[in-house]
Amino acid sequence: DLLQWPQISKCRSPEMETFSCYWTAGNFYNLTAPRMIQLLYKKSNEEDWKECPDYITSGQNSCYFNASYTSVWTPYCVQLASKNEVYDKKCFSVDEIVLPDPPVHLNWTLLNTSQTGIHGDIQVRWDPPPTADVRKGWITLEYELQYKEVNETKWKELKPRLSTMVPLYSLKTARDYEIRIRSRQRTSEKFGEFSEILYVSFSQIGIGCDHCTEEVEFPWFLVVVFGVCGLAVTVISIMLSKQPRLKMLIFPPVPVPKIKGIDPDLLKKGKLDEVNSILACHDSYKTQLYNDDLWVEFIELDIEDPDEKNRASDTDRLLSEDHLKSHGCLGVKDDDSGRASCCEPDIPETDFSASDTCDATSDSDQFKKATEKEEDLLCLDRQDNDESLPSLANTDPQRQHPNTQSENSHLWASFADSVESPRPSVHTQISNQNSLTSTDFYAQVSDITPAGRVVLSPGQKSKLGRAQREGCTEQNFTMDNTYFCEADVKKCIAVTSHEENEPHVQEQSYNEDGYFTTESLTTTVANFGASTAEPPSSEMPVADYTSIHIVHSPQGLVLNATALPVPDKEFNVSCGYVSTDQLNKIMP
Amino acid sequence: MSTKGASLKGLLLVVLLVSHMLLTKEGVTSLPICPSGSVNCQLSLEELFDRAVKLSHYIHFLSSEMFNEFDERYAQGRGFIAKAVNSCHTASLTTPEDKEQAQQIHHEDLLNLILGVLRSWNDPLIHLASEVQRIKEAPETILWKAVEIEEQNKRLLEGMEKIVGRVHSGEVGNDIYTPWDGLPSLQLADEDSRLFAFYNLLHCLRRDSHKIDNYLKVLKCRLIHDNNC
Repeated sequence: DLLQWPQISKCRSPEMETFSCYWTAGNFYNLTAPRMIQLLYKKSNEEDWKECPDYITSGQNSCYFNASYTSVWTPYCVQLASKNEVYDKKCFSVDEIVLPDPPVHLNWTLLNTSQTGIHGDIQVRWDPPPTADVRKGWITLEYELQYKEVNETKWKELKPRLSTMVPLYSLKTARDYEIRIRSRQRTSEKFGEFSEILYVSFSQIGIGCDHCTEEVEFPWFLVVVFGVCGLAVTVISIMLSKQPRLKMLIFPPVPVPKIKGIDPDLLKKGKLDEVNSILACHDSYKTQLYNDDLWVEFIELDIEDPDEKNRASDTDRLLSEDHLKSHGCLGVKDDDSGRASCCEPDIPETDFSASDTCDATSDSDQFKKATEKEEDLLCLDRQDNDESLPSLANTDPQRQHPNTQSENSHLWASFADSVESPRPSVHTQISNQNSLTSTDFYAQVSDITPAGRVVLSPGQKSKLGRAQREGCTEQNFTMDNTYFCEADVKKCIAVTSHEENEPHVQEQSYNEDGYFTTESLTTTVANFGASTAEPPSSEMPVADYTSIHIVHSPQGLVLNATALPVPDKEFNVSCGYVSTDQLNKIMP
Repeated sequence: MSTKGASLKGLLLVVLLVSHMLLTKEGVTSLPICPSGSVNCQLSLEELFDRAVKLSHYIHFLSSEMFNEFDERYAQGRGFIAKAVNSCHTASLTTPEDKEQAQQIHHEDLLNLILGVLRSWNDPLIHLASEVQRIKEAPETILWKAVEIEEQNKRLLEGMEKIVGRVHSGEVGNDIYTPWDGLPSLQLADEDSRLFAFYNLLHCLRRDSHKIDNYLKVLKCRLIHDNNC
């Protein structure tokens, strides 16, 4: 066995008036003579060690110092010694070793019970330890209460408090409880011993609820399960809901990248050429194309621009591309950006259906119409084109050869993409017409027939060659075609006016997408003047364009007079229009 | 007019009720509405004692904690406890050492003693707050507590002087005061000696603050509650 020396286990004062020291004897003591151990003490201001005054009161192996020996704030030293040896020593002051006795006289009273009788509130009261003189304020105690159910193992604690009563709320009446209390001096950290246990039993006072043993615990599991299910049902119902607004409110749609005017499905499924056509016909894309320098001359229809070279060259370029068109290619196969997108020569004509509309709502019927329109709009028989091309090529020295094809391809691209709309068709038509004469590319579409044909107002130019070569009578105007080539019409009118001098001039306003520049009018008039021997004798201001009102017969064309004071004279310039200035120039 | 008066009364009642509810919340120091420096505002003796007891308890609490922290940090292994046969500079003041003596002493004398002890600690606390900062790696908590104790001690001194002024019937007794000469020991070059000096000072502070707290509680129970706290 291990040798254990005698040790002072603790010194304690229960009320700050007396104190006791306790020690352990150790097994050493048994071997030698008993009762050899002494406890000596000394106050700090004393020199000698004194022996313990009372070995008995506090029990065995203890030393009790009564009130006369106790000075509270005086440092003490005690030591455990035998005759020769000092076993242990301890120094302290009494105020540091205060450990109060436990409270006494614990009791409880019922405050109230719940309506169901399952829970109840009680008030626990006790008295301070009798040794502690709390009444005179010599010692101030605080208490800590602990309670638990009888069959539990862990005690619940309340925080320390100064008062000697405390309520306990919401105890289960069906269960029994145990309560214990301990105290400590207010500024200390250590608690004294626990009091005796107080038993609380509701059944003793007759309110025990024997039949409510079942505990109504909060059904967390059920709550969670039902909550999750409900949430899932709600989410699913919203997702499947037909109400777009509700759906949008809760699940706002994530904006997908979208280009206005382009169907994303087509982009996914369509072929490359279709996609290219769509992109080319897209406004922004077009704008970009137009920003290209190559396009400038096509866009800038500057009236003051005296340079007709470009026009002529443009016209020629357009003309030269007609044969490409016959192959179903609206553009030249070229590597320049934008061109290839609009045109691939190997693509059969059926593919143009997609490119007909910018909205990519392709329709085969529309395509057929489109193609027919295109062919008609060209307004030139293939033969004529071929014929006119070389003639123009020869006659127009300003034609720009190197850039022809590329520029024309651009043109065709834009034209091809908008075949459906009257304007582009006008463009194509006019382009063809312009190929013969050096005029601009726009004419006014006066009407669109139910069949889908476009009725154009008489252009500003007249086909000189044609007028000279052919006459109205030689033309075969199928009555089905409710429109006539502008040039032909002009021609006819010119001939008619020249022969009959009876054009009916009626003017009507249609959609005025097209317009004639002064320049073109000038040339038209010039040509007109050349073809006809009769210059317009009347001087009157005319609009730059008019529209065809009615096409009566192969020989007749009724034009609209747009708010112009039409003189009673036959103003044969119904086919062509001049501005006042031009007219002045023309007139002698 | 009657309705107006009634509504005004009702409003006043409501205001009073609400303010009463707010003021009597637990934990709130229910200080009377008495602006400082007001001549006409008189706190009751009970209120003065309540405040004094609260302050003394707080000071003792801080001293206790500070001592424990210091002990933990610096005193371990240095054997300070064994040497703690220390004598505080206030030992020359004969204060009651047990309950009987405290019961027998006259309350005016006891009040004077309390004042004396408080005054005697004024100087040491100031120096403690400044010198403790020079301790190597002194924890922030110790520094803060030293400053706080010094502040609260001043307040307690003022409060006690007020109480003494109320309670004393006649001339104020001797000005009890013990000077403190421990400053050099706090500034010793030797770190061990210096720390021991601090240890002693903090130990004395804890003890004396406990004394004062106890005396005030005894006085309060005796004077206010007639020995029936």
